[in-house]
Parts: sequence; structure tokens; C-alpha cells
Amino acid sequence: MEMKTIKFVINGVKQELRIPPWRTLLEVIREDLKLTGAKEGCGQGECGSCTVIMGGKSVNSCLVPAMEADGQEITTIEGLKNGEELHPIQEAFVEHAGMQCGFCTPGMIMSAKHLLDHNSDPTLEEIQEGVSGNFCRCTGYTKIFESIDAAAKSMKGGR
Amino acid sequence: MKSNNGMIGKSIPRIGAIERLLGKPLFSADMELDHPLVLKVLPSDRHHARILDIDTAEAARVEGVVEIFTAEDIPRNHLTGIINKDRPLLAKNKVRSKGDAVALVAALNIHAAETAAKKIHVVYEDLPSVHDPEEALKNHASKVHEKGNLLFTRKIKKGNPEKAFEACAVVVEKTYRTSFLEHTYLEPDAGAGYLDPDGNLVIIASTQNPHYDHSELVSLLGVAPEKVRIVQAATGGGFGSKLDLNVQGFIGLALYHLKRPVMCTFTREETYRMTAKRHPLKMVFKTGADENGHLMAMTAKMICDTGAYGSYGLAVASRAPVHATGPYEIDHVDVECRCVYTNNPFAGAMRGFGVPQAAFAHESQMDLLAEALGMDPLEIRRVNALKAGHKTATGQLLNGSVGIDQCLEAVKPHYENALKTWLHGETDFAKQRGVGLGAMWYGIGNTGVQNPSTAHIEMDGEGRITLYTGCADIGQGSTTVLSQIAAAVLGISPDMLCMVVGDTAFTSNAGATSASRQTYISGNAVKNAAEKLADVLLTEGVDLLKRPKTDLMLENGFVVYKKDPDHRMPFSKIAARAAKRGIPLRWQGYFDPETVPLDPETGEGVPYATYAFACHVALVTVDVLTGEVTVHKIIAAHDVGRAIHPASVEGQIRGGAAMGVGFALMEEYDPSTTRSLKDYHIPTAMDMPEIIPIIIESSEPTGPFGAKGVGEPALIPTAPAVINGITNAVSARIYHLPANLERVLEASIQSGKFTMKEVA
Ligand code: FES
Ligand code: FES
Repeated sequence: MEMKTIKFVINGVKQELRIPPWRTLLEVIREDLKLTGAKEGCGQGECGSCTVIMGGKSVNSCLVPAMEADGQEITTIEGLKNGEELHPIQEAFVEHAGMQCGFCTPGMIMSAKHLLDHNSDPTLEEIQEGVSGNFCRCTGYTKIFESIDAAAKSMKGGR
Repeated sequence: MKSNNGMIGKSIPRIGAIERLLGKPLFSADMELDHPLVLKVLPSDRHHARILDIDTAEAARVEGVVEIFTAEDIPRNHLTGIINKDRPLLAKNKVRSKGDAVALVAALNIHAAETAAKKIHVVYEDLPSVHDPEEALKNHASKVHEKGNLLFTRKIKKGNPEKAFEACAVVVEKTYRTSFLEHTYLEPDAGAGYLDPDGNLVIIASTQNPHYDHSELVSLLGVAPEKVRIVQAATGGGFGSKLDLNVQGFIGLALYHLKRPVMCTFTREETYRMTAKRHPLKMVFKTGADENGHLMAMTAKMICDTGAYGSYGLAVASRAPVHATGPYEIDHVDVECRCVYTNNPFAGAMRGFGVPQAAFAHESQMDLLAEALGMDPLEIRRVNALKAGHKTATGQLLNGSVGIDQCLEAVKPHYENALKTWLHGETDFAKQRGVGLGAMWYGIGNTGVQNPSTAHIEMDGEGRITLYTGCADIGQGSTTVLSQIAAAVLGISPDMLCMVVGDTAFTSNAGATSASRQTYISGNAVKNAAEKLADVLLTEGVDLLKRPKTDLMLENGFVVYKKDPDHRMPFSKIAARAAKRGIPLRWQGYFDPETVPLDPETGEGVPYATYAFACHVALVTVDVLTGEVTVHKIIAAHDVGRAIHPASVEGQIRGGAAMGVGFALMEEYDPSTTRSLKDYHIPTAMDMPEIIPIIIESSEPTGPFGAKGVGEPALIPTAPAVINGITNAVSARIYHLPANLERVLEASIQSGKFTMKEVA
């Protein structure tokens, strides 16, 4: 089988992998790199539980061919905390009960990060829009919106 | 033990929250095993057929395939099921639905497993199939199971409704229908297994009931109980479907034969095809009231489609009729519910066990009666609401916490305000506003059968305390709540407790995480265990502190003399002394709610020891031209007895209401077309109304610190409130859920709203 070499930086770490070209980014980060924070909830680009940030954009990694990651910079939930400190978005999700079972949470937080990276002061509508591609079956979303709003405020406060 | 050191009613940080936020590998599919084999199930592609042959030869030659299993390979009992054992792990002789598992491939990688599954040749001989429960009950109908298609009938009879109807000022009779639903927990079913150094089978799985899984594995494999260990992994929601054996049996079977690590992870499509659905119900309700709106009599004929297998069908078919009166006192009742096999996908437990379906009917009836009598919908509910001292349709005297009145009272200002102002707010003329009410009651725990929970608590020689519970936390937060209960009794902070949860090697049976029973039942078991330990600590303290027991209390890891808190003794000293004297520091707790089995002919009995109550108000807008419904706001009042962890209670209410919006407006699993999330719609961030939870605490004397439960009640009143809101908006009623675009548009056309616009 034909193997391809790809190089990328993930959570600040350089990686070089030889992979068959049909594999998805989600498979590679979960199976080869053992970064299991991103989840597979559908494998069809519907649920957002596999969301990671690649090249500054949030992507459903289950739909992205791993080949496309070549030369890119990627951030996953594992790369969010700073040393031992939680990222303000993670902190806000604890504080505001933005999570129940936690399966949607890594993807949700990456979408939130992407939103706040581009919009430091989102309105409720913008928050809803920002996570509209991420399903959550447990929380009813409101607490997620509150968590993201609180994170935006705390990040603006110089955190 | 009265005092609770401030631990009860406090939203302490949820256990396991940080790990989840960091994306730590906690879920079954995240497990890292040494070169695990992967498993793939071959499902049946027939509705109903005899299996003449399964030829695995070609599949076995696929590179990377290690083994292919069929029913022949199951060592002992091939049937599974928690209430009635009718579902084969792998089909034997025949298949009864398109999701039936026929063969299981174990391979080195997923591609090999998938390729091989396609190369298994099954020779079927099709049998006539039946897809409608009423058809299935006819004489000529094809038999899904040998014993016939009627699985179970539950009857509830009280008084003489036919006679009572004659005296009614108004009688309403209508037929209601609901659809198959998919739980759509975000985590598809998954599990992993390996052999421990002693050769025991260890299975880590996404589950709502590890101790049940354990008993099934022992039965399937015919091995000694101590040879199997089930560990509940972090579980990404369940909502009832992870009460069945979804992947655990396959993992056990492969592990038993191959003795190598294995993993089984369902894709979303597999989850949709091979796990339980919500039972669709057809319900004919007849309800009568006097001129003041007092309910005099009701009858209901219900039929529920359990598909190919029973699963929790009996529970659904018992709960739906028991709750058919709604939270109201009615003297004359005759309800019958039949649970029927068909060749549809099997239906099982889903949040509410048939009560959401029943509530749709009884709450629609309430509004119809109110309309016929010219009464306010809230008023007719208040007139009839159950109170302490009332008797239910099963003859149960309610003498504990009955908070429906308080729920109705709590929503009243919101409801009246919405009617007065919001309803008349300015909108586009095509958008009609409506306000609707939905109320419910929900019995906590299983229906008229024993459903005990056990727990253990242990103090080591250094005074450290560990709580062992078999109670599966599936995201709702039971581990945190149980830690609060134990901590409150023992006078410590919950983070001083070590929690061992859902691991059959260490924990004892806590029963299923279902029926909203864990706070009440396992909470009581934990409290019972903790009280026994507390009593030992206090008794030992008498000797050491030389003070009477009644003057001692537990605080922050010390036995303390109440009148002089400096006079105290740390748990560690007491533990050391107790150990020396041979006094046990490991105690078991047990609780089983007091119920009386229901009479098979009349339903008389005590199905539950206590009930939760709730009422929702929904504010909706209907676009009469498109049929689109927007839910703006839900006010959700819930009597939970006591909220031990208020943030989790609120979380349940919000999540339940969201699921209720899905049930009301969009969710429908069509067995012939629904394959994945692409064709099944659940509420997204854009569909969410504002939700205002109101927690009512009508303390339950038998509950731990007064608590009852909320997990399922949260969802139940939402759909009726939304449907009544739609009716209020367009003056036409929807009798078939979900109220999707076509049905709402149809209602809008029927009521003349649609043409009104055209004229305008
Ligand atoms: S797993 Fe990628 S969107 Fe669902
Ligand atoms: S917290 Fe369970 S799916 Fe979002």
C-alpha cells in the first residue's frame, strides 16, 4: 500500500508520520498520536465532537484527510492548558457547569476557542452561531453559552 | 442524622470535571490496549427470515481476520434481556429485525473486519414480516416469537368509568400517536476488554448498569461470576439505551475464545441500527369532567410497539398506564396497555419509560376539557391536582411529598404574565404566538417490583474513608451527589472521600441508572452505610472522649464534643483503636423502596414509594405559512424533594427540556430511512429556548435528606406544553408527534390560519 509522509505541528510539537492517504486527521490524532481528547460522535461532519483547530480554522477532523494537515499547525483540547493551568475557557466550563457527560466538551471548547480567537466579545447570537455545529445531548446548551460568555469576559480581563 | 454540615444543597465541583475538560482518555474508545483486535458485527438485512446457512469461509480468508463467531460459539445461554430474555447475542436460526446481530468478526484492524463482514454469506429464507402492532395482534399475523406477539398487558381499574361518564358535563375522546425515537447520546456505544494476569475477563464499557452486564456475561459464557469484571468507563450519555447489552456481550465472547485484548466501537450508524429506540405508542383517551372541571372518569387504550425484542418494553407498558391519569385525582379509571412484538427495530428504555408519551395524551386532554368548559388551562389543573391524602388510580394513598400544587403555583405568575403581555406582543402577521402548559408526575424507581441498591463504606486504619458504589454515573452527576450524601453523614468534606464507582470487582449492585432512581434509592443505600460507620465512630468516641454519645458529633474528620469543640478526637485515632479491638470499619448500606406489586387484573398496588412532580409553561411562535415552530421560553417547575446538588438538578432540567423540544417538534426515527445523524434531527444550539428552572423542594420523608429524583421528569412536561402552545397559537391541535413542519402546516391549514394570510 502506498504510504505518504506528512509533517505538522500539533500542540506545539513537531510530528512526522507515514500514513496511507485515505486516513482522516481524526484517526491519525487519536490512533497514532494517542490524543484521544477529540471524539468521534458520527464520523460524518454532523456532530462537531471531533473539532480541532487547524491553520487557525476550526475543522471537523473526521472529514479532513490527514494529508491536508501537511505543513499545518494544529491545536487539540490537549494543547489548550498552559502547563498546569487550565485555559480560561476550561475554567469557565467548570465554574458554569458547561458540561455533563463531557463527550461533546472537547469539541465544544475548541469551537469556543476558535470563536473567541476571532471575536473577543461575542453576543449571545454569535456564541450560538459559533457552536451551532457542535451537538450536545445533555446540557440543553444554555450553560455552554454562559461558560463561553464568562470565558470571554475573563480573557478580556487580561487573563 | 439531621445536620448535614452544609454539604446538602450545595453545588460542589463535579467529580471528574477537570479530567473531561482536559480531554483525558476516559471513554471506552480512548482505552489504550496492547494491540487490540477490533470487532465488527454483521447485522441482518432482513426484517424477518429463517437463517438457512452462514458461510464464513471466504470472510475468514481476508488478510487480518482472526476469527468469525456465530451463535454456535456462545458457550451457554444465547438469550439476553433484563426483564424477559428474548434477544439473542447472535441470531440463532432466525432474524426478527434488520438490526439483529448475525455474526461477529475479530480482526487485526478495522478494514479487515469490515471487508470480512461483507464477505460472510448468509442464506435467508424470508418470512412474512409485521410492522404495525395492531396488525401483529391479528390471528393471521406472522409470529415474531414462538410464544406469540403479545408480550404483556397491564390493566389499571378503579370504580366504574362508563357509568361516571354519563354524569359528566363534558367528555373528550381522542387518539394520540408518537414515533420511534433515537436516544442519540453523543458517545456511540463502545467497550474494550482484556484478560487480567489471573485470566479473568475484564470488560470496560459505556454502560448504565455494570452489575447487570456482569450477570449477562456470566450467563452467556457460563463462567464463574468472579471470572468476569465489568468496569464502567466514562459514559457519554445513555438516556436508557445503555441499559441493554450493546457491545459488552460481543467483547466478552471474543475475549473468552481468543484471550487477547479486543475493542468494539460502534459507528453512529451501528448505534442507530442495533440499539434500542423509544416505543411508539398509540393511545385512545377518553376523559370526562363535571361542569366545574373536576375530572370524574377516564379510560385509555394504549398499544406500544416494542419491535423485535422486549428490552424494557414491560416497564414501559406498565409505567405508561400507571401514569395515564396524570398528576390528578380521578375516581373512575380503566386503562389498558398492550406491549406487542413486531419486526421493527427493538424499543427499550428511553428517558421517561412511556410516561412522556402518556403525558402528551393526558395533557392534551386537559386542555381540550378546559376549552370545552371555557376554563383556564391552569385552573383545571389546579382543581384536579393530587394532594397528600389522595388516592391514585392504583389505590395508593399518597402520604409523602406531593408537590404538584406548588409547581402549578410557581409557574402561575409566569403563565399569567405570558398570557397578558407576551401573547399580544407585536409579530409578523404570519407568526402566531401561543402559550401552553404541561404537567406530569413520575414514580421514582421500578414499577411495583423490588429494585434495591447497595453500597459499602470503609474506613482504613488511618481514618481515610472510601465509598464503593455500583451506581453508574452517565453524566448526570450521581457520583458527586452520592459523595455529598456520605460526606454529610460523616461530617467531612466530599473531597476527603475516595470514590470507587461502577467496577464489579469492588462494588456491589446498585441497580440500573434508570427510572430516576439513583439519588433516591442509591442515595439512601449510601446514607445507610455511612450512618452505620458514623454510629461506630460516635460510639467509640464515647470511650475516648468520656462524654455521652448524644453530646458528640462528627466534624471535619473528628469526633467532637458539641459543647466544647476543642475536645475532640481525629478519625485516625478512632480507626486505629477500632482496628485493634476488632470492630469492623467496613459497612454495607441497603435500601429498597416499599412497593406492593400491582394486581394483574386491576392494577391495584403501590407501584412506587414516592413521586416527582413538575409543570412546564412553553411560549411558542408558529409560522402559519411554513409550519415552523420556535420555542422562545420554557418555565420549568420541578418538585425534586430536595436538591442535593442544585446545579446538577438545573442541568437535568435544562437538558431534559431540550430533549423534550426534540420530542415535540423534530425527532422521529423512521426504521426504513433513518441511518445516521444526517437524517435524525436533535436540537442544536440554534433551537434552544430560554429555560427558567424553578426548583420546588417538597421534602420526601423517605428520601435521603428529603430528595426524590429529576432525571426523567425533566423531559416529560415539555412536549405537552409545546403542543398545547401550538394549539393556543393556531387553534388547531396536533395528535401525532413530532409536530414537524408538515403536521403543523396541516393544522394551520385546517384551522384556516393559512388561508387567512392568503386573503390578507
Ligand atoms: S465525528 Fe466529526 S463531526 Fe461528528
Ligand atoms: S455534555 Fe454530554 S453531550 Fe454534551
